[in-house]
Amino acid sequence: MNDQHIASAFDRDLEAIQAQIMKMGGLVENAILEAAISLETRDEERAEAVRRADKAIDTLEEIINEEAARVIALRAPTAIDLRLVLSVIKVSANLERIGDYAKNLAKRTSVLSQMAPVNDSAGALRRMAKEVERMLKDALDAYVSRDAELAQDVIDRDIEVDQMYNALFREFLTFMMEDPRNITACMHLHFIAKNIERMGDHVTSIAEQVVYLVTGTIPDEARNKGDKTSVTA
Amino acid sequence: MNDMRIVERDVDTNEVKIAAKDVQVFYGDTHAIKDVSVDIEDKTVTAFIGPSGCGKSTFLRCINRMNDTIDVCRVSGDIRIDSEDIYDAKVDPVQLRAKVGMVFQKPNPFPKSIYDNVAYGPRIHGLAKNKADLDDIVERSLRRGAIWDEVKDRLHAPGTGLSGGQQQRLCIARAVATEPEVLLMDEPCSALDPIATAQVEELIDELRKNYSVVIVTHSMQQAARVSQKTAFFHLGNLVEYGETGTIFTNPNDPRTESYITGRIG
Repeated sequence: MNDQHIASAFDRDLEAIQAQIMKMGGLVENAILEAAISLETRDEERAEAVRRADKAIDTLEEIINEEAARVIALRAPTAIDLRLVLSVIKVSANLERIGDYAKNLAKRTSVLSQMAPVNDSAGALRRMAKEVERMLKDALDAYVSRDAELAQDVIDRDIEVDQMYNALFREFLTFMMEDPRNITACMHLHFIAKNIERMGDHVTSIAEQVVYLVTGTIPDEARNKGDKTSVTA
Repeated sequence: MNDMRIVERDVDTNEVKIAAKDVQVFYGDTHAIKDVSVDIEDKTVTAFIGPSGCGKSTFLRCINRMNDTIDVCRVSGDIRIDSEDIYDAKVDPVQLRAKVGMVFQKPNPFPKSIYDNVAYGPRIHGLAKNKADLDDIVERSLRRGAIWDEVKDRLHAPGTGLSGGQQQRLCIARAVATEPEVLLMDEPCSALDPIATAQVEELIDELRKNYSVVIVTHSMQQAARVSQKTAFFHLGNLVEYGETGTIFTNPNDPRTESYITGRIG
């Protein structure tokens, strides 16, 4: 298939809208890392910067949605072009949610830095966040290069994030049973872990959009669920 | 906010090229255009849309005084191109039409060679000093019409022997040969297949770097694709005029919304 439309302005519109997605993706990746680092280093200023930066992410989502509506209204996209525009709308929504979770993480950092640290949990959360950030990077790379295989790989990796969450869930439960004074901190830490796990789900959803974009079908829901806490707890 | 927007659809200039004020057109007793005032910008594609008989073609034809040729037609009001009143008694309609080119619905090449079709305007307006000069103009125009590569080896074959889409691009090349400042297009793609249409649309986008293009079209999708400004006409009134993206995503007037969503016609 020829890559270019006869109407070159159409190509420019589609490229511009994808460039916005990439810009948004970059901001979100950064938010995840910065939020996790601020948690580990108990750096309230850094956390505050993450909270402020979320505005730009929200604004980008609005712009992307507006532009997508515009492309649909003006260019009546079909087939791969239509899938692209639809996927852009969904991916931007996923990115926006991930951004919100990062912001929430930063908020809890501000509270947690007032309390005594609980073991090495902040480090474990940072590693978990790092893994999600890597998945997001790969999902976005797969998006740009239309690489369904890489996207599938991202989908398969979500189980690792789920397992990390499981481990942390048990760990926090143990700490809380050991000493009730840990409960407040552990509740916050548990929410953070859960939020990072949710980020992973949104990344998976982005990867699914890539598969949809390339192949025209959403991959099977029958992926391995690593989060067993809802059955064992 | 604005710097993050897709700049592609932005209008390059806000300079007014054609200023129409209180224009009325009568065909005998029929009031075809009612009080239309509109400022059309330079280096911009402006689309006129609206149901059949709404006056969009009539208004377009006022811009190069094509309605002069219709006996029962009366035009009043004020139309200025670069602040010059084109209905002034001193204005020669032939000179005006050299400045305001027009492309019609059906490709209408002269029954002459491809070369002569394009050379006709420059010859009668004395735009070429010599043969070499004229050759240059013909090549440049055919290139601008995005048809040079297809016809360069048969410039002396008859223009009528080309395919419909090629003929239309030849007519566009002919229209730009006199270096007009405004290009009027009345349904330029309605006789063309989708690929030829896409080529002409791409050409229109290209032409807007140099000209103010005004296009009348029945295809709302075409208006959406090619224009930066859209004017919606209904029953002789200019109902709404604005940025194309706004017209097609969030029009102001309920009549515009009804028309573009296919509820009135």
